[in-house]
Amino acid sequence: MNNQWLAFFQGVIVVYIQGQGAERFINQLIRSRIPVWQVTRHDERTVSFSCSLTHIHKIRRAARDFEGEVRFSKGDGFPFLWKRLLKNAGFVIGALLFLFVILLLSNIVWRIDINGATPKMEHEIRKELANIGVEEGEFILKMDDPETVQKKLLSRVKGLTWIGVEMKGSTFHFRVVEKNEPEEKKQAGSRHLVAAKDAVVTKLFVEKGQAVVKRNQFVRKGQLLVSGFIGSEGNLREVGAEGEVLGETWYRTSVEMPAETHFHLLTGQQVNKHFLELGEFSLPIWGFKSHSFAHYKKEEQEHSISFLGFSLPIKYNKHTYYESEQSLRSYTRQEAEKRALEAAREDLKAKLSEKAAIQGEKILQREFRNGKVKLSVHFQVLENIAVGKPITQGDRENARKKHNEHSTREPE
Amino acid sequence: MGKKWGEQMKNWLTRSMNLPEDVMMDLPRITMIGQLHIYIENHRGLLTFSDKEVRLLLTKGQLLIKGQSFTIKTILPEEILIEGKVEKLVYLEG
Repeated sequence: MNNQWLAFFQGVIVVYIQGQGAERFINQLIRSRIPVWQVTRHDERTVSFSCSLTHIHKIRRAARDFEGEVRFSKGDGFPFLWKRLLKNAGFVIGALLFLFVILLLSNIVWRIDINGATPKMEHEIRKELANIGVEEGEFILKMDDPETVQKKLLSRVKGLTWIGVEMKGSTFHFRVVEKNEPEEKKQAGSRHLVAAKDAVVTKLFVEKGQAVVKRNQFVRKGQLLVSGFIGSEGNLREVGAEGEVLGETWYRTSVEMPAETHFHLLTGQQVNKHFLELGEFSLPIWGFKSHSFAHYKKEEQEHSISFLGFSLPIKYNKHTYYESEQSLRSYTRQEAEKRALEAAREDLKAKLSEKAAIQGEKILQREFRNGKVKLSVHFQVLENIAVGKPITQGDRENARKKHNEHSTREPE
Repeated sequence: MGKKWGEQMKNWLTRSMNLPEDVMMDLPRITMIGQLHIYIENHRGLLTFSDKEVRLLLTKGQLLIKGQSFTIKTILPEEILIEGKVEKLVYLEG
Protein backbone atom coordinates (compact mmCIF):
# COMPACT_ATOMS: atom_id res chain seq x y z
CA MET A 1 0.00 0.00 0.00
CA ASN A 2 2.88 2.36 0.69
CA ASN A 3 4.26 1.82 -2.76
CA GLN A 4 1.21 2.55 -4.84
CA TRP A 5 3.33 4.68 -7.09
CA LEU A 6 5.87 1.98 -7.62
CA ALA A 7 3.04 -0.38 -8.49
CA PHE A 8 1.68 2.17 -10.91
CA PHE A 9 5.00 2.36 -12.70
CA GLN A 10 5.45 -1.38 -12.77
CA GLY A 11 1.90 -1.84 -13.97
CA VAL A 12 -1.17 -3.16 -12.24
CA ILE A 13 -3.42 -5.96 -13.46
CA VAL A 14 -6.86 -6.94 -12.29
CA VAL A 15 -7.32 -10.71 -11.84
CA TYR A 16 -10.71 -12.39 -11.81
CA ILE A 17 -10.99 -15.80 -10.16
CA GLN A 18 -14.02 -17.99 -10.49
CA GLY A 19 -14.73 -21.09 -8.49
CA GLN A 20 -14.77 -22.39 -4.96
CA GLY A 21 -11.94 -21.60 -2.60
CA ALA A 22 -11.00 -18.17 -3.83
CA GLU A 23 -9.99 -17.36 -0.25
CA ARG A 24 -7.57 -20.24 -0.21
CA PHE A 25 -6.03 -19.02 -3.42
CA ILE A 26 -5.56 -15.54 -1.97
CA ASN A 27 -4.06 -17.01 1.21
CA GLN A 28 -1.67 -18.98 -0.90
CA LEU A 29 -0.66 -15.86 -2.80
CA ILE A 30 0.03 -13.78 0.24
CA ARG A 31 1.91 -16.57 1.89
CA SER A 32 4.20 -16.69 -1.11
CA ARG A 33 4.72 -12.94 -0.69
CA ILE A 34 2.68 -11.66 -3.60
CA PRO A 35 0.97 -8.52 -2.42
CA VAL A 36 -2.63 -8.14 -3.55
CA TRP A 37 -5.10 -5.39 -2.93
CA GLN A 38 -8.55 -4.21 -3.82
CA VAL A 39 -10.09 -7.64 -3.24
CA THR A 40 -13.81 -7.60 -4.02
CA ARG A 41 -16.44 -10.28 -4.36
CA HIS A 42 -18.74 -9.85 -7.30
CA ASP A 43 -20.98 -12.88 -6.82
CA GLU A 44 -20.97 -16.29 -5.17
CA ARG A 45 -18.20 -17.62 -7.38
CA THR A 46 -16.29 -14.57 -8.54
CA VAL A 47 -13.64 -12.60 -6.72
CA SER A 48 -11.36 -9.98 -8.27
CA PHE A 49 -8.17 -8.43 -7.00
CA SER A 50 -5.37 -6.22 -8.21
CA CYS A 51 -1.72 -7.08 -8.17
CA SER A 52 1.52 -5.95 -9.65
CA LEU A 53 2.38 -6.86 -13.22
CA THR A 54 5.77 -8.14 -12.11
CA HIS A 55 4.11 -11.02 -10.25
CA ILE A 56 2.03 -12.26 -13.14
CA HIS A 57 4.17 -15.37 -13.66
CA LYS A 58 3.97 -16.36 -10.02
CA ILE A 59 0.21 -15.97 -10.13
CA ARG A 60 0.03 -18.17 -13.23
CA ARG A 61 2.06 -20.82 -11.45
CA ALA A 62 -0.18 -20.66 -8.41
CA ALA A 63 -3.23 -20.80 -10.64
CA ARG A 64 -2.24 -24.27 -11.85
CA ASP A 65 -3.10 -25.72 -8.47
CA PHE A 66 -6.37 -23.85 -8.33
CA GLU A 67 -9.41 -25.78 -9.48
CA GLY A 68 -11.38 -22.76 -10.65
CA GLU A 69 -10.73 -20.36 -13.48
CA VAL A 70 -8.23 -17.51 -13.31
CA ARG A 71 -8.63 -14.71 -15.79
CA PHE A 72 -6.46 -11.65 -16.23
CA SER A 73 -8.48 -8.59 -16.95
CA LYS A 74 -7.61 -5.03 -17.76
CA GLY A 75 -4.22 -3.63 -17.03
CA ASP A 76 -3.48 -0.31 -15.55
CA GLY A 77 -0.44 1.78 -14.91
CA PHE A 78 2.54 2.96 -16.82
CA PRO A 79 3.40 -0.06 -19.02
CA PHE A 80 -0.16 -0.25 -20.28
CA LEU A 81 -0.35 3.47 -20.83
CA TRP A 82 2.88 3.21 -22.75
CA LYS A 83 1.49 0.42 -24.88
CA ARG A 84 -1.57 2.47 -25.69
CA LEU A 85 0.66 5.41 -26.45
CA LEU A 86 2.67 3.33 -28.89
CA LYS A 87 -0.51 2.12 -30.50
CA ASN A 88 -1.47 5.73 -31.06
CA ALA A 89 2.05 6.67 -32.08
CA GLY A 90 0.88 8.78 -34.96
CA PHE A 91 -1.06 10.97 -32.66
CA VAL A 92 1.84 11.32 -30.25
CA ILE A 93 4.27 12.11 -33.03
CA GLY A 94 1.85 14.69 -34.32
CA ALA A 95 1.61 16.32 -30.92
CA LEU A 96 5.38 16.38 -30.50
CA LEU A 97 5.84 17.71 -34.00
CA PHE A 98 3.32 20.41 -33.29
CA LEU A 99 5.18 21.46 -30.16
CA PHE A 100 8.45 21.35 -32.05
CA VAL A 101 7.10 23.50 -34.88
CA ILE A 102 5.74 26.02 -32.40
CA LEU A 103 9.08 26.04 -30.61
CA LEU A 104 10.85 26.55 -33.89
CA LEU A 105 8.55 29.33 -35.01
CA SER A 106 8.82 31.01 -31.63
CA ASN A 107 12.54 31.35 -32.17
CA ILE A 108 12.36 32.99 -35.55
CA VAL A 109 12.37 36.70 -36.12
CA TRP A 110 8.97 37.56 -37.48
CA ARG A 111 9.21 41.28 -37.76
CA ILE A 112 11.74 44.04 -37.61
CA ASP A 113 10.33 47.38 -36.56
CA ILE A 114 12.35 50.49 -37.10
CA ASN A 115 11.01 53.65 -35.57
CA GLY A 116 12.17 57.19 -35.88
CA ALA A 117 14.25 56.80 -39.03
CA THR A 118 13.85 58.45 -42.37
CA PRO A 119 13.04 56.03 -45.20
CA LYS A 120 16.58 56.31 -46.46
CA MET A 121 18.05 55.58 -43.06
CA GLU A 122 15.63 52.72 -42.57
CA HIS A 123 16.71 51.17 -45.82
CA GLU A 124 20.32 51.60 -44.79
CA ILE A 125 19.71 49.99 -41.44
CA ARG A 126 17.83 47.06 -42.95
CA LYS A 127 20.65 46.47 -45.38
CA GLU A 128 23.20 46.48 -42.61
CA LEU A 129 21.00 44.23 -40.47
CA ALA A 130 20.86 41.74 -43.32
CA ASN A 131 24.65 41.80 -43.41
CA ILE A 132 24.83 41.12 -39.69
CA GLY A 133 22.33 38.29 -40.12
CA VAL A 134 19.29 39.85 -38.53
CA GLU A 135 16.53 39.25 -41.01
CA GLU A 136 12.91 38.26 -40.95
CA GLY A 137 12.72 34.49 -40.97
CA GLU A 138 16.11 33.95 -39.41
CA PHE A 139 16.71 31.99 -36.25
CA ILE A 140 17.21 34.07 -33.17
CA LEU A 141 19.71 31.55 -31.84
CA LYS A 142 22.02 32.18 -34.74
CA MET A 143 22.08 35.90 -34.17
CA ASP A 144 24.07 38.14 -31.96
CA ASP A 145 22.41 39.42 -28.85
CA PRO A 146 20.74 42.85 -29.01
CA GLU A 147 23.70 44.63 -27.44
CA THR A 148 26.10 43.35 -30.05
CA VAL A 149 23.65 44.20 -32.81
CA GLN A 150 23.43 47.68 -31.38
CA LYS A 151 27.16 48.06 -31.25
CA LYS A 152 27.63 46.79 -34.79
CA LEU A 153 24.92 49.02 -36.16
CA LEU A 154 26.32 52.06 -34.45
CA SER A 155 29.75 51.45 -35.86
CA ARG A 156 28.64 50.52 -39.38
CA VAL A 157 25.74 52.79 -40.21
CA LYS A 158 26.82 56.33 -40.81
CA GLY A 159 24.69 59.08 -39.44
CA LEU A 160 23.39 57.13 -36.46
CA THR A 161 23.65 58.87 -33.13
CA TRP A 162 21.95 56.24 -31.09
CA ILE A 163 19.93 53.14 -31.76
CA GLY A 164 17.85 51.32 -29.19
CA VAL A 165 17.59 47.60 -29.81
CA GLU A 166 14.96 45.62 -28.03
CA MET A 167 13.70 42.11 -28.57
CA LYS A 168 10.10 41.47 -27.70
CA GLY A 169 9.32 37.83 -28.26
CA SER A 170 10.00 37.28 -31.92
CA THR A 171 10.07 40.94 -32.93
CA PHE A 172 13.04 43.23 -33.11
CA HIS A 173 12.33 46.82 -32.23
CA PHE A 174 14.77 49.50 -33.24
CA ARG A 175 14.47 53.06 -32.12
CA VAL A 176 16.67 55.37 -34.09
CA VAL A 177 18.04 58.78 -33.39
CA GLU A 178 19.74 60.23 -36.40
CA LYS A 179 22.58 62.60 -36.41
CA ASN A 180 21.41 66.02 -37.43
CA GLU A 181 24.51 66.92 -39.27
CA PRO A 182 24.50 70.60 -39.97
CA GLU A 183 24.57 71.14 -43.67
CA GLU A 184 27.72 72.78 -44.71
CA LYS A 185 27.04 76.43 -44.89
CA LYS A 186 27.25 77.80 -48.33
CA GLN A 187 29.71 80.57 -48.65
CA ALA A 188 27.70 83.06 -46.75
CA GLY A 189 28.72 86.07 -48.63
CA SER A 190 31.91 87.82 -48.00
CA ARG A 191 34.68 86.60 -45.82
CA HIS A 192 38.35 86.88 -45.12
CA LEU A 193 40.81 84.08 -44.78
CA VAL A 194 42.78 84.11 -41.56
CA ALA A 195 45.53 81.95 -40.15
CA ALA A 196 44.42 78.95 -38.12
CA LYS A 197 47.72 78.80 -36.24
CA ASP A 198 51.14 80.30 -36.01
CA ALA A 199 53.05 79.49 -39.16
CA VAL A 200 55.44 80.59 -41.82
CA VAL A 201 53.67 81.06 -45.12
CA THR A 202 55.29 78.97 -47.84
CA LYS A 203 52.80 79.10 -50.67
CA LEU A 204 49.73 81.12 -51.53
CA PHE A 205 47.01 80.08 -53.94
CA VAL A 206 44.39 82.77 -53.95
CA GLU A 207 41.28 82.15 -55.99
CA LYS A 208 39.27 85.07 -54.77
CA GLY A 209 40.26 87.98 -52.65
CA GLN A 210 43.44 89.83 -52.13
CA ALA A 211 46.51 88.36 -50.53
CA VAL A 212 47.75 90.38 -47.58
CA VAL A 213 50.75 88.27 -46.67
CA LYS A 214 53.81 87.23 -48.64
CA ARG A 215 55.82 84.05 -48.85
CA ASN A 216 58.16 83.30 -45.99
CA GLN A 217 56.25 85.69 -43.78
CA PHE A 218 55.58 84.61 -40.22
CA VAL A 219 51.93 84.84 -39.28
CA ARG A 220 50.24 84.61 -35.92
CA LYS A 221 47.06 82.74 -35.25
CA GLY A 222 44.04 84.77 -36.41
CA GLN A 223 46.11 87.06 -38.61
CA LEU A 224 44.50 88.13 -41.88
CA LEU A 225 45.87 86.20 -44.82
CA VAL A 226 43.57 86.95 -47.70
CA SER A 227 41.29 89.94 -47.55
CA GLY A 228 37.74 89.85 -48.80
CA PHE A 229 37.90 93.44 -49.96
CA ILE A 230 38.95 93.79 -53.55
CA GLY A 231 39.10 96.53 -56.05
CA SER A 232 40.84 99.81 -56.16
CA GLU A 233 40.20 102.37 -53.51
CA GLY A 234 37.47 104.04 -55.49
CA ASN A 235 35.23 101.04 -55.74
CA LEU A 236 35.79 98.63 -52.94
CA ARG A 237 33.91 95.35 -53.23
CA GLU A 238 33.36 92.51 -50.84
CA VAL A 239 33.90 88.93 -51.98
CA GLY A 240 34.09 85.58 -50.26
CA ALA A 241 37.80 85.08 -50.18
CA GLU A 242 38.84 81.63 -51.32
CA GLY A 243 42.16 80.01 -51.60
CA GLU A 244 44.76 77.94 -49.95
CA VAL A 245 47.59 79.20 -47.88
CA LEU A 246 50.22 76.62 -47.16
CA GLY A 247 52.21 77.32 -44.11
CA GLU A 248 54.92 75.61 -42.18
CA THR A 249 53.71 74.81 -38.69
CA TRP A 250 55.37 73.16 -35.75
CA TYR A 251 54.30 70.46 -33.43
CA ARG A 252 55.95 68.94 -30.45
CA THR A 253 55.05 65.45 -29.32
CA SER A 254 56.44 63.19 -26.71
CA VAL A 255 56.14 59.42 -26.98
CA GLU A 256 57.04 56.48 -24.85
CA MET A 257 57.90 53.04 -26.13
CA PRO A 258 58.68 50.08 -23.91
CA ALA A 259 61.55 47.97 -25.14
CA GLU A 260 59.84 44.71 -24.15
CA THR A 261 56.18 44.02 -24.68
CA HIS A 262 54.08 40.96 -23.96
CA PHE A 263 51.39 40.15 -26.44
CA HIS A 264 48.47 37.81 -26.60
CA LEU A 265 48.02 36.76 -30.17
CA LEU A 266 45.14 34.63 -31.35
CA THR A 267 46.39 31.77 -33.47
CA GLY A 268 43.12 31.31 -35.30
CA GLN A 269 42.43 27.94 -33.73
CA GLN A 270 39.06 27.78 -32.08
CA VAL A 271 36.77 25.23 -30.48
CA ASN A 272 33.02 25.67 -30.25
CA LYS A 273 30.86 24.09 -27.61
CA HIS A 274 27.10 24.20 -27.45
CA PHE A 275 25.11 23.80 -24.29
CA LEU A 276 21.52 23.72 -23.19
CA GLU A 277 21.22 25.27 -19.77
CA LEU A 278 18.50 24.75 -17.25
CA GLY A 279 19.25 26.88 -14.26
CA GLU A 280 22.59 25.76 -12.89
CA PHE A 281 22.66 22.59 -14.89
CA SER A 282 24.11 22.68 -18.37
CA LEU A 283 23.82 19.90 -20.86
CA PRO A 284 26.39 19.75 -23.65
CA ILE A 285 24.63 19.09 -26.94
CA TRP A 286 27.43 19.54 -29.40
CA GLY A 287 31.18 19.93 -29.29
CA PHE A 288 32.27 17.36 -26.72
CA LYS A 289 35.93 17.63 -27.51
CA SER A 290 37.77 19.54 -24.87
CA HIS A 291 40.26 22.03 -26.14
CA SER A 292 43.95 21.50 -25.53
CA PHE A 293 44.96 25.13 -25.56
CA ALA A 294 47.50 26.27 -23.06
CA HIS A 295 46.35 29.86 -23.31
CA TYR A 296 42.95 30.77 -24.55
CA LYS A 297 40.27 33.39 -24.63
CA LYS A 298 36.75 32.33 -23.87
CA GLU A 299 33.64 33.87 -25.29
CA GLU A 300 30.10 33.05 -24.28
CA GLN A 301 26.97 33.67 -26.23
CA GLU A 302 23.70 33.09 -24.46
CA HIS A 303 20.22 32.92 -25.89
CA SER A 304 17.08 32.07 -24.02
CA ILE A 305 14.66 29.89 -25.91
CA SER A 306 11.16 31.24 -26.10
CA PHE A 307 7.89 29.46 -26.56
CA LEU A 308 4.90 31.44 -27.82
CA GLY A 309 6.46 34.65 -26.61
CA PHE A 310 7.33 33.34 -23.16
CA SER A 311 10.94 32.66 -22.55
CA LEU A 312 11.51 29.16 -21.26
CA PRO A 313 13.92 28.56 -18.39
CA ILE A 314 16.08 26.75 -20.90
CA LYS A 315 18.94 28.64 -22.39
CA TYR A 316 21.15 27.93 -25.33
CA ASN A 317 24.74 28.76 -24.67
CA LYS A 318 27.62 28.74 -27.09
CA HIS A 319 31.14 28.79 -25.77
CA THR A 320 33.95 29.60 -28.09
CA TYR A 321 37.54 29.04 -27.08
CA TYR A 322 40.15 30.90 -29.07
CA GLU A 323 43.68 29.70 -28.77
CA SER A 324 46.07 32.45 -27.90
CA GLU A 325 49.79 32.65 -27.90
CA GLN A 326 51.90 34.69 -25.65
CA SER A 327 54.67 36.34 -27.47
CA LEU A 328 57.36 38.67 -26.38
CA ARG A 329 58.51 41.52 -28.51
CA SER A 330 61.79 43.08 -27.61
CA TYR A 331 63.60 45.93 -29.27
CA THR A 332 67.12 47.14 -29.07
CA ARG A 333 67.58 50.78 -28.21
CA GLN A 334 67.89 51.86 -31.80
CA GLU A 335 64.87 49.85 -32.80
CA ALA A 336 62.82 51.14 -29.93
CA GLU A 337 63.74 54.64 -30.85
CA LYS A 338 62.76 54.03 -34.44
CA ARG A 339 59.43 52.59 -33.39
CA ALA A 340 58.82 55.45 -31.04
CA LEU A 341 59.46 57.90 -33.81
CA GLU A 342 57.07 56.04 -36.08
CA ALA A 343 54.46 56.05 -33.40
CA ALA A 344 54.91 59.76 -32.93
CA ARG A 345 54.53 60.30 -36.64
CA GLU A 346 51.37 58.21 -36.78
CA ASP A 347 50.04 60.08 -33.81
CA LEU A 348 50.56 63.39 -35.47
CA LYS A 349 49.13 62.25 -38.79
CA ALA A 350 45.94 61.24 -37.07
CA LYS A 351 45.60 64.78 -35.78
CA LEU A 352 46.34 66.54 -39.04
CA SER A 353 44.16 66.86 -42.10
CA GLU A 354 44.80 64.53 -44.98
CA LYS A 355 46.52 67.05 -47.16
CA ALA A 356 49.07 68.02 -44.56
CA ALA A 357 52.58 66.71 -45.05
CA ILE A 358 55.32 66.27 -42.52
CA GLN A 359 58.32 68.17 -43.76
CA GLY A 360 60.87 67.37 -41.17
CA GLU A 361 61.41 66.06 -37.71
CA LYS A 362 63.95 66.52 -35.02
CA ILE A 363 64.44 64.64 -31.82
CA LEU A 364 64.76 67.15 -29.06
CA GLN A 365 65.17 64.80 -26.16
CA ARG A 366 65.75 61.09 -25.73
CA GLU A 367 65.71 59.24 -22.50
CA PHE A 368 66.09 55.56 -21.60
CA ARG A 369 64.67 54.61 -18.28
CA ASN A 370 63.02 51.51 -16.78
CA GLY A 371 63.18 49.68 -20.08
CA LYS A 372 61.39 52.50 -21.85
CA VAL A 373 62.40 54.96 -24.50
CA LYS A 374 61.02 58.41 -24.06
CA LEU A 375 61.27 60.77 -26.99
CA SER A 376 60.34 64.35 -27.43
CA VAL A 377 60.06 65.16 -31.12
CA HIS A 378 59.64 68.38 -32.99
CA PHE A 379 57.84 68.18 -36.32
CA GLN A 380 57.69 70.62 -39.16
CA VAL A 381 54.45 70.29 -41.05
CA LEU A 382 53.24 71.82 -44.25
CA GLU A 383 49.51 72.39 -44.18
CA ASN A 384 46.72 74.66 -45.18
CA ILE A 385 46.39 77.25 -42.50
CA ALA A 386 43.63 79.33 -44.08
CA VAL A 387 40.22 79.39 -42.46
CA GLY A 388 37.29 81.55 -43.41
CA LYS A 389 36.16 84.40 -41.26
CA PRO A 390 33.05 86.39 -42.15
CA ILE A 391 33.55 90.09 -42.69
CA THR A 392 31.98 91.96 -39.82
CA GLN A 393 30.58 95.44 -39.67
CA GLY A 394 33.73 96.54 -37.89
CA ASP A 395 35.87 95.36 -40.77
CA ARG A 396 33.74 97.30 -43.18
CA GLU A 397 34.04 100.46 -41.16
CA ASN A 398 37.79 100.03 -40.93
CA ALA A 399 37.98 99.52 -44.65
CA ARG A 400 35.86 102.60 -45.29
CA LYS A 401 37.97 104.63 -42.93
CA LYS A 402 41.07 103.57 -44.76
CA HIS A 403 39.36 104.33 -48.02
CA ASN A 404 38.33 107.73 -46.75
CA GLU A 405 41.86 108.44 -45.63
CA HIS A 406 43.00 107.60 -49.11
CA SER A 407 40.33 109.75 -50.70
CA THR A 408 41.10 112.75 -48.51
CA ARG A 409 44.75 112.32 -49.28
CA GLU A 410 44.13 112.01 -52.97
CA PRO A 411 43.57 115.65 -53.89
CA GLU A 412 46.88 116.68 -52.49
CA MET B 1 1.60 -29.37 31.12
CA GLY B 2 4.77 -27.68 29.87
CA LYS B 3 2.84 -25.58 27.36
CA LYS B 4 0.44 -24.42 30.00
CA TRP B 5 3.29 -23.43 32.28
CA GLY B 6 4.82 -21.45 29.45
CA GLU B 7 1.54 -19.62 28.85
CA GLN B 8 1.35 -18.69 32.49
CA MET B 9 4.91 -17.47 32.46
CA LYS B 10 4.15 -15.22 29.43
CA ASN B 11 0.99 -13.95 31.07
CA TRP B 12 2.87 -13.04 34.22
CA LEU B 13 5.70 -11.41 32.28
CA THR B 14 3.39 -9.18 30.25
CA ARG B 15 1.48 -8.09 33.29
CA SER B 16 4.51 -7.40 35.44
CA MET B 17 6.63 -5.74 32.74
CA ASN B 18 3.86 -3.80 31.03
CA LEU B 19 4.56 -5.32 27.63
CA PRO B 20 1.94 -5.10 24.87
CA GLU B 21 -0.18 -8.24 24.93
CA ASP B 22 -0.47 -8.62 21.16
CA VAL B 23 3.28 -8.98 20.82
CA MET B 24 3.78 -11.34 23.71
CA MET B 25 0.73 -13.50 23.32
CA ASP B 26 0.07 -13.57 19.57
CA LEU B 27 -3.27 -11.88 19.91
CA PRO B 28 -4.86 -9.91 17.10
CA ARG B 29 -4.64 -6.13 17.26
CA ILE B 30 -7.72 -4.58 15.72
CA THR B 31 -7.96 -0.96 14.74
CA MET B 32 -11.23 0.49 13.53
CA ILE B 33 -11.96 3.88 12.13
CA GLY B 34 -15.66 4.35 12.79
CA GLN B 35 -17.43 1.89 10.59
CA LEU B 36 -15.35 2.68 7.56
CA HIS B 37 -12.16 0.71 8.03
CA ILE B 38 -11.06 -2.23 10.03
CA TYR B 39 -7.41 -3.09 10.29
CA ILE B 40 -6.43 -6.42 11.79
CA GLU B 41 -2.85 -7.39 12.59
CA ASN B 42 -1.73 -10.87 13.55
CA HIS B 43 -4.32 -12.86 11.64
CA ARG B 44 -3.51 -16.29 10.34
CA GLY B 45 -5.29 -16.30 7.00
CA LEU B 46 -8.50 -15.60 5.16
CA LEU B 47 -11.24 -18.18 5.56
CA THR B 48 -14.22 -16.72 3.76
CA PHE B 49 -14.70 -13.48 2.03
CA SER B 50 -17.80 -11.89 0.57
CA ASP B 51 -19.13 -8.34 0.47
CA LYS B 52 -21.22 -9.01 3.62
CA GLU B 53 -18.93 -11.17 5.68
CA VAL B 54 -15.24 -11.77 6.27
CA ARG B 55 -13.96 -14.61 8.36
CA LEU B 56 -10.36 -14.65 9.48
CA LEU B 57 -8.34 -17.34 11.14
CA LEU B 58 -6.58 -16.36 14.34
CA THR B 59 -4.02 -18.17 16.46
CA LYS B 60 -6.84 -19.15 18.71
CA GLY B 61 -10.26 -19.33 17.17
CA GLN B 62 -11.68 -17.16 14.41
CA LEU B 63 -12.84 -13.59 13.86
CA LEU B 64 -16.09 -12.91 12.05
CA ILE B 65 -16.71 -9.44 10.64
CA LYS B 66 -20.14 -8.61 9.32
CA GLY B 67 -21.23 -5.56 7.42
CA GLN B 68 -21.87 -4.31 3.92
CA SER B 69 -19.94 -3.83 0.69
CA PHE B 70 -16.58 -5.10 1.91
CA THR B 71 -13.43 -4.82 -0.13
CA ILE B 72 -10.01 -5.90 1.01
CA LYS B 73 -7.84 -2.88 0.52
CA THR B 74 -4.62 -4.65 1.37
CA ILE B 75 -3.77 -8.10 2.48
CA LEU B 76 -0.39 -9.16 3.76
CA PRO B 77 0.60 -12.41 5.50
CA GLU B 78 -0.27 -11.04 8.94
CA GLU B 79 -2.20 -7.87 8.23
CA ILE B 80 -5.46 -7.07 6.51
CA LEU B 81 -7.27 -3.83 5.85
CA ILE B 82 -10.96 -4.08 5.05
CA GLU B 83 -13.04 -1.21 3.79
CA GLY B 84 -16.82 -1.04 3.78
CA LYS B 85 -19.45 -0.64 6.46
CA VAL B 86 -18.55 -2.66 9.54
CA GLU B 87 -21.54 -3.65 11.65
CA LYS B 88 -20.54 -6.58 13.81
CA LEU B 89 -17.40 -8.16 15.11
CA VAL B 90 -17.68 -11.62 16.58
CA TYR B 91 -15.02 -13.88 18.12
CA LEU B 92 -15.69 -17.52 17.48
CA GLU B 93 -13.99 -19.84 19.93
CA GLY B 94 -12.14 -22.53 18.06
